[in-house]
Amino acid sequence: MDQARRRTALLVSLWTGLIALLLYLPILCGALASLSKGRYFGFPVRAFSTEWWERTFASIEIGMIVENSLLVAALVTLLSVVFAFFGALAFARYDWKGRRLFQKLVLLPIFFPQPVLGLALLLWFSALGIQTSWMTAVFAHLVWIVPVVTLIIAIQVYGFDPALEEAARDLGASRWQVLREVTLPLLWPGIWSGALFAFLLSWGNFPLSLYTAGADSTVPKWLYSKMVAGYTPMVPALGTMSTLVAAAALLLGGLVMLLLRRRSAA
Amino acid sequence: MPTTDKPNLPILQLVGVRKTFGDFVAVETLDLDVMEGEFLTIVGPSGSGKTTLLRMLAGMEAPSAGDISLRGVRINEMPPEKRPTCMVFQSLALFPHKSVGENIEFPLKMRGVPAKARKARALELMGVVRLPESYYAKNVMKCSGGERQRVALARALAYDPDVLFFDEPLSAIDYKLKKVLEKELKDLHRETGKTFVYITHSLEEAMVMSDRIGVMRSGRLVQVGTPEEIYAKPVDRFVSEFMGEVNVIAVERAAGVEDWTGVDVPGRFTLAPCQEIADAATAYVVVRPEYLRVLGEGAGADNALEGVIYNEYALGSRIQYQVRVGEKVMLVELSRAQALHAAPGQRVRLGWDARDAIAVRN
Repeated sequence: MDQARRRTALLVSLWTGLIALLLYLPILCGALASLSKGRYFGFPVRAFSTEWWERTFASIEIGMIVENSLLVAALVTLLSVVFAFFGALAFARYDWKGRRLFQKLVLLPIFFPQPVLGLALLLWFSALGIQTSWMTAVFAHLVWIVPVVTLIIAIQVYGFDPALEEAARDLGASRWQVLREVTLPLLWPGIWSGALFAFLLSWGNFPLSLYTAGADSTVPKWLYSKMVAGYTPMVPALGTMSTLVAAAALLLGGLVMLLLRRRSAA
Repeated sequence: MPTTDKPNLPILQLVGVRKTFGDFVAVETLDLDVMEGEFLTIVGPSGSGKTTLLRMLAGMEAPSAGDISLRGVRINEMPPEKRPTCMVFQSLALFPHKSVGENIEFPLKMRGVPAKARKARALELMGVVRLPESYYAKNVMKCSGGERQRVALARALAYDPDVLFFDEPLSAIDYKLKKVLEKELKDLHRETGKTFVYITHSLEEAMVMSDRIGVMRSGRLVQVGTPEEIYAKPVDRFVSEFMGEVNVIAVERAAGVEDWTGVDVPGRFTLAPCQEIADAATAYVVVRPEYLRVLGEGAGADNALEGVIYNEYALGSRIQYQVRVGEKVMLVELSRAQALHAAPGQRVRLGWDARDAIAVRN
C-alpha cells in the first residue's frame, strides 16, 4: 500500500518533470543560441560569448523597436483595462436588455484566427484611408485583447455579492463612493490579472502587428523578418530578452497580487 | 409596547402599493402602516413577496403603483442613501476587504466624520452589540456567524436610522445561537426605541420578537395583528396552519345553525358562534394539538372523535400522539404527567370544546 503510493508519487513527479522539460527546453535552446559564439546555431554549443547580447543592446534599431513594443503594450494595457472594467460590469453584474447578445458579441473576436482579423483590419484601415502605424496596431490589439480582459475581470465580478453595493448605498454612500470604497477594491485582483494578460498578449503579439503596424516594427515582427532574411544570433538574443521582460512583468504582477491579498487578509 | 414620544403615529405608510416584475405580480395592492417605534415582523413562505415589500420600504425597488410615505412625506423615488432607514441583509453584506471597525465606521466615513470620532463611535457600538474591543482590527471574514451578525447590526446602527430593516438575517444561524440573538435584538429594540421591520419565514422568530405580525401569502398581506391575535384568531386556514402544527377538519353546514357535518372525518360538530363563517356553507375547524383531550370513561366534551393511536413522539416536556381517525391523522399533545402509556393500535376517544376550536374559511 505504502509502496504503491510512493510509486504513484514518483510517477507523478516524473511526468511533471517531463512536461516541464518539453515546455521549457526549447526556450532554453533559444537562450543558448544567443550565447553561442558562432553566427549559426549548432548543438552542442562549441564556444560561449556575450557578444550578440552586447550588440543587441547597442543597436539603435532594436532600441526603437523595443520602444515601439513597450509603447504599444503599455497603451493597450491601459485602454483595455478601462474598457474591460466597464465591459465586465455590463457582462456580469447588471441585468439589462441585450446583455446576452453583448456577452456573445464581445467574445467573438477571440475566436477569429488572428491573421484573418489582422487582414480584415488592414483592409478596413485602407478603405478608410488611414495610414497604418503603431497606432493602428494598438487599435488592432485592443480588438483582440479587450474581450480577453473583459472575460478575466468578469470572472471576478461573478464572485462579487451585489448586495455589497446595495448595502453601501443604503449606508449613505454615493455612486462614486460605492465605486471607490467597495467595487474597485473588491475587483482589484481581477483588474490586475487583466492588466497583466493585456500586457503579455500585446507584447508577444505577432500576427496582428504584422498586418496593422505598417512601417513600424515591433519585437515579434522584427524577429520574424530576421528569421526570413538576415539571421544573426541577435534574433535569439532579443527573443530571450523579450521572454525575460514578460517573466519580469509576471513576477511583478504576482508580487502585487500577493501584496493585495496580504492587505485584505490583515 | 415600546416607549416612544409619539406612540401611535405611523412612521411609514403604504397606500395602495403594488409591485410587478413584467407579468409577475410580486406584491398585490396593499395598505400598511408601520408605527413609530414598533417591532413589526412580516412573515410568509418564500416567494410570498415579503422581501420585495421590504425592498420597497428601503428604497431599493420603486412601487409599480401606490404611494409610500415617511412621516407624511411621499418617498416613492427617494434613493436608499437619502432615507433615514437601514437594512441588515440576509447575506449581511459585510465588506470582506474591511476590518470589523472599518465596516462599522463605513456610514460615518461616507458622511465625512473624522477618523478619531469614527473610531470612538465604532467602539461604543461594539459595546452595544457585545463585541469585544479587541475585534476592532479583526478581519470580518475571520469572524464567526454570530459575530458577523453583531458587526452587521453595529454597522446599521452607526448609520443612526429611524427605521431598521431586517431581511431574514438569522436564517443561517444554528438554533441555540438564534434564540440568543432573537432576545438580544428584542432588547436592542427596547433600548434604542427605533422602529424595527423584520422579515422571516419562521413564525417562531416572529412570535418571540414582534409587537405586531403581518402574514403574507402569494403577494398578499393576509392578516396583520399582535402575535396573540394571529395565534388566537387566524383569518383563514393558511394563517392557522402557518402558525404551527394544527388539526384542520373540513366541515359542511348541517341543518342547525351551529351544527356542522364533517367532510373528511365522520361526525357532527358544534362550533362557537363566529362572524367569519356566519353565512358560509363550508368551513374549516382548526383545533390545536394542545386543545385536543383524550376522553376517559364517562368524560364528555362538546365534540368527540374515535381513533386509533399509531405513533408517539417525545417533544421534551410534552408528548405528541398521532391518532388515525378514518383517513385523517390528528395530532394530540399532552404533558408528560398526562402521558397515556398506550400501545400503538389502541383505540382512543378524542374530544374538544367548541370554544377551544377556531372556525375559518378556506
